[in-house]
Amino acid sequence: MRKALTMLRRQPLGVAGGVIVLVLIAVAVLAPRLAPHGPKEAGFAPYLAPSAEFPMGTDQLGRDVLSRVIWGARLSLYVGLVSVLFGITAGSLWGAVTAYLGGAADIGSQRVVDSVMALPPIILALALMAALGQSVDNVIIALVILLTPTAARTVRSIALGIIASPYMESARAVGASNWRIIARHLIPNCMAGYIVLVTTNVSYAIVVEASLSFIGAGAPPDEPSWGGMLTAGIQAIETAPWMIFFPGVAISLAVFGLNLFGDSIRDVSDPRLRGGLG
Amino acid sequence: MTISKTLRILAGLALVTAFVVPAAQAQDKPRSGGILTWFDYGDPGRLDVHAESPLVVQQATAGVFSGLLHYDPADPSKVVGDLAERWTISPDGKTYTFHLRKGVKWHDGEPFSAADVKASFDRILNPEFQSPKCGASLKPMVAGVEMLDANTVQFKLKFPAAPFLPSLASAWCRVAAKHILAKYGDLNQSEAQIGTGPFKFKKYERGSVIEWEKNPNYFIPGLPYLDGVKQFILVGGPTQVAAAKAGKIMLWDAWPPMRKTQADELARARQDVDIYQASINTIFLLYLNSKKPPFDNPDLRRAVNLAIDRQELVAKALEGAGVPCGILDPKLSGEFALPLEEVNRVPGCRQPKDQDIAEAKKLVEKHHPGGVDIEVAVRSVGNYVDRAQLVIAQLRKVGIRGTLKTHESAAGYAAWGKGDFTLIATQDRAMDVNDPSGVFHIAYTTEGGSNYGRMSDPKVDELAERALKESNKDKRRQAYWELQRYILSRGDTATVAVGWVEGWFFKDKKLQGYKPGLTTYDNNTFMKVWLSQ
Repeated sequence: MRKALTMLRRQPLGVAGGVIVLVLIAVAVLAPRLAPHGPKEAGFAPYLAPSAEFPMGTDQLGRDVLSRVIWGARLSLYVGLVSVLFGITAGSLWGAVTAYLGGAADIGSQRVVDSVMALPPIILALALMAALGQSVDNVIIALVILLTPTAARTVRSIALGIIASPYMESARAVGASNWRIIARHLIPNCMAGYIVLVTTNVSYAIVVEASLSFIGAGAPPDEPSWGGMLTAGIQAIETAPWMIFFPGVAISLAVFGLNLFGDSIRDVSDPRLRGGLG
Repeated sequence: MTISKTLRILAGLALVTAFVVPAAQAQDKPRSGGILTWFDYGDPGRLDVHAESPLVVQQATAGVFSGLLHYDPADPSKVVGDLAERWTISPDGKTYTFHLRKGVKWHDGEPFSAADVKASFDRILNPEFQSPKCGASLKPMVAGVEMLDANTVQFKLKFPAAPFLPSLASAWCRVAAKHILAKYGDLNQSEAQIGTGPFKFKKYERGSVIEWEKNPNYFIPGLPYLDGVKQFILVGGPTQVAAAKAGKIMLWDAWPPMRKTQADELARARQDVDIYQASINTIFLLYLNSKKPPFDNPDLRRAVNLAIDRQELVAKALEGAGVPCGILDPKLSGEFALPLEEVNRVPGCRQPKDQDIAEAKKLVEKHHPGGVDIEVAVRSVGNYVDRAQLVIAQLRKVGIRGTLKTHESAAGYAAWGKGDFTLIATQDRAMDVNDPSGVFHIAYTTEGGSNYGRMSDPKVDELAERALKESNKDKRRQAYWELQRYILSRGDTATVAVGWVEGWFFKDKKLQGYKPGLTTYDNNTFMKVWLSQ
C-alpha cells in the first residue's frame, strides 16, 4: 500500500494510464461475459438511440454498439499486443545483432531500415494490405513490417552504447564467443529500451489498425474494429451520431491510457530515453 | 370607386400581364446553355458499351451514341425511332426492316450508313463475342442482320418475339462506327468514343470526371439544349451524399439509390431539389457457385435459400424501400408476376422464419456436422458490404460461417465472370429491358450473362424460351407463372432472388425536360434536358 502510494505520488499520470490499461485488458479478456450480445448479431432494429436496453444504441444493421465496442477492445488489444511483440522483438534482435557484428552487416541492414522508414507508414501499410488482403491477421503482418525497422534502429543505437562499455570489453577479453556475449550481456542490457518500445508502440499499433479499418483497408467490415465502426458511423452522422461517438471515445481512451502508461514505464526504466523512443 | 379609377387599375393589370405572362411562359420554354452535373458510382475503366455490363460504362457513353431505336425522352414508356426513321414488320413477325435517317454524321465528320449498323450488330451477335447486355438480350431472338442498301437494314428473327423492339431500344444496343471498330478493334478507349449522339465525348480523367460537350451537328436541329454534361466519379455513399448536399451534382437518378436517411439529410440541406422514391427495375440477387463445394451440393443451396431472410434484408439494408421475395415485381411486371400472397407462402419467403431455419440447419448438419466455413464475396459499392454482413449473420444461424471478402468493383465483376467465388452476398442486377423475360434470360437460364452461379436447368431454359416466343398475352402470362412457380418450388437455385430494389432519388428544380427511364440504363442521353434560370 505504501509502495502504491509512493508510486502514485511520483507518477500520477502513469498510474492513471495504468488504470485505463488495466480496464482495457479486463474488458478485452472478459468480453464474452461483459458484452450483452455477439459482435455480429444483427437481430435488432437499426439506428436505435441509446437507451436502457441498448446503452450505446444500435448501428445501421441493428447490431448493439456497446457489444461491438467491448469486443472491439479485444480485437484492438490482440492486434496491438501481437504485432508489437513480434515486430519489436524481431526488430530489437535485428538491431542488436547487426550493431554488434558491425561492418557490412550493420551498414547493409541500416540501408534496408532507411529504405523502409523513408515510406510514409500509412502508405506502406495500405500497400501491404492491398497485397495481403483484408483480414485481422494480415493487419498484424503489416504492422510487424512497419514496427520492425523502427525497433531495429532504436535498439541499434542503444546497443552501440552498450558495446563500447568496459564490461563488454572484459567479456571479449576473457574469450567469450560472440553469441554468448550477445545473449548474456548485450540483449539483457537492451531490455529497458525494449520494454519501453513495447509499451509505447501498442497505442501506435491500435491507431494504425483503426486507421486502416477506417479507410476500409484493415480488418473486414463485419469485425468489431473501432476504426471500422467509425466508417459506418460517418454514413449516419446526422441520424445516429452515437455510432461515431462511442468507438471514437474508446479509441481515444485506449491510446491516451497506453501513452501515459508507456511514458511512465520509460521514465522509470531509463530516464535517459525520455524523448528518444516510441 | 370611380369609372376612371377602375379603368386605370384595369390598364395597369393589363400592362403587368403583358410582361409577366410572356416571362412566365419563357420559363416553360427550353433554353440553351448550361452544364448538367451528374455522377457515376465508380470508375468505368473500359468504355466498350457492346462488351461491358456495369452501369458506369453505360452512363459514361449514353449521350455519345445513338441506337436504331430508343425510349422517348418525353415518354419513356414508348419505343420510338432514333437513327431509324421508321420501320416495318413482316406479316409473320420475323423480319424487321429499318429505314435510316439520311445525312447523319459521326462526330469525326464521317457519314453514317447502314454499313455501320450491320458492323455493330454483327459484332454484338457474334457467338464468340461476349456481350452481356445487348448480345444477351438479342442473341436468343435474332438470326442475322442484313444491309439492303446504304439506308436500310433488316433484322431476321428466329421467331416472332414480343421483346425484340424493347430490347433493341435498350441503351446498351448502340450503333458504333464501322471505321472506328476497324481502327481500334474495340470501343474501350476514349479515342474510340465516336458516336452520332447529342454529345461528343470530351474528356475522361480516371477516377475523377467524364465530360461530354454539345454536338453542334446533331441530326435533330436545335438539340441538345445543354452545352455539356459533367459526370463526377464519386465512390462511396458518404461522398455521393456530400456532393449532393453541396450542390455539386444536379441529378441522382441511377443506382445506387439514396437511402431514406440520406434523402432526409439532403432535404435538410437543400430546398432547391425534388426528392422522390422510385423503383429502378433492379433486382437484389445472391449467388451460390454451383460448380464448387459446398454449393455444388443442392442441399446446401437449399439451406441458403431457406436461411436468407429476405424481408429482413429489405427492411434493414434497403430501409424498407423494396419488394422482398418476388422473382418478378408486380409493380413493374404487372400480371406477369406471381401474386405476392402466393410467393410469400413459399419456403424461404414465409414468415416467421423458424421453420425455414430449422430445415436449413438440418440440411447443413447432414453434410457438415458442426457447420461449414465459406468465403462470402462482395463488391465494395453502394451498401453491398452492409448487406453482406447481414447475409453472414443470417447464414450463421444455420451453421454456415462466412468470412467476408471485399472486391473493388471491376475486380469483383472479373471474379464473378471467372467463377472465382463461393457465395456472392449481393449483386444488384438492373433490367436492361422492361419485359418479364429480362430477369430469367439474365440470371436463370444456362446462357444468362449474369448466371454467375453457373447453374444449368434444362427445364428453366425450356420454360423461359417458351415464354419468350409466346405472342399471345394470356399464354405468355401463364408461361411466366409456370416458370416462377418451378423456380420457387425447386428451392435450390444458385441464383437467389432477394427482392426488387427501390430507393430515393433527386433532381435539381432547375433541371427541366427530364423523365426517369423505365430501367436505370435508359433516358440518360439528356438530349431534351435543359436548365431553367
